[in-house]
Amino acid sequence: MINVWIGIIFLIMTIAVYRVAKRIYRKYPNPFTLPIFLTSGFLIILLGFSDLSYRSYMLGGQWIDLFLGPIVVALALPLYRQLDLIKKYAQTIFLGIFAGSIIGIVTGIAGAKTLGFEDWIIKSVAAKSVTTPVALSITDTAGGNLSFAAVFVMIAGISGAMFGPVIVRLLRIQHPVARGLGIGTASHAIGTSKALELGELDGAVSALSMTISAVVVSFLVPLFLALL
Amino acid sequence: MKYLKIILQISVLFLFYYIGEAIQSAFSLFIPGSIIGMLLFFALLTFKLIRVEWVADGIDLLIKDMPIFFVPVTVGVVQYLEFFYGKGSLMIPLVILSTFLTVGISSCITSLLLKKEVDAHD
Repeated sequence: MINVWIGIIFLIMTIAVYRVAKRIYRKYPNPFTLPIFLTSGFLIILLGFSDLSYRSYMLGGQWIDLFLGPIVVALALPLYRQLDLIKKYAQTIFLGIFAGSIIGIVTGIAGAKTLGFEDWIIKSVAAKSVTTPVALSITDTAGGNLSFAAVFVMIAGISGAMFGPVIVRLLRIQHPVARGLGIGTASHAIGTSKALELGELDGAVSALSMTISAVVVSFLVPLFLALL
Repeated sequence: MKYLKIILQISVLFLFYYIGEAIQSAFSLFIPGSIIGMLLFFALLTFKLIRVEWVADGIDLLIKDMPIFFVPVTVGVVQYLEFFYGKGSLMIPLVILSTFLTVGISSCITSLLLKKEVDAHD
């Protein structure tokens, strides 16, 4: 019974911290004030510097985890809403996303392998370019570590959001479809929020690229990991 | 009534997720069950067997606050913090470099393809 109460307290705490984080982000929008970054950062510090264990935190966290799979299903709706845009640029979009997905997977896997990391780390970095719920599903199926996958996804998101717009400018890429696709394929939802600042079409293409690349990556990761 | 509707709409996602998981394990596919569920749901939306307005409110609500669902998993890294003190910290620049390459190369390829398309129409 005591476990149920601990669970409820951690559940309420997570929601409360997240709401405060959202308010901070609204006031000071920045990749480092993203609610996921602030909320997890706060809880990591809290658990890291106290006697509270992650296991007791998960008495509440497990209820939130139940939604991870169904949220992947939810992504079908925004994708469906962009069907017209997808049809308009179908071939180009698919080829660009396919290329980007391969680069993201191969450089991640090959880099970690070259640096001499163990297999479970390599498996956890393979899907880092895609949106968190899908990356977690892929990593789970591949046998990697979910927490590491979530951190790598966040690093990909934040770095791509901060420097993606700079990179496309340096490369003199002017077409919104090309800019949005690059940012969305590499840094999912966090990048998409930044792509939206470049333009409406950039944001829309980034959003659809993040979902299509998530599907493409879920097919490709097992194939590339089999080559290890 | 409104809450009941939203709960039902979110239950639809759970239903597709479990169907996807069942298909994955039945055929021992290497693609995650959640992705199979999503593709199935997408197909039903595309063929208008499920209407957007039947499910939209609940799903939009969930998507709006999607990041909160990643918190517990991310916090799990607290169990491995020492990994990032040593050699593991190299994973951070690696992921950043890989991300930059992905942005750069995929947007370049797309840009070239778009130019080719314009030329083809000329």
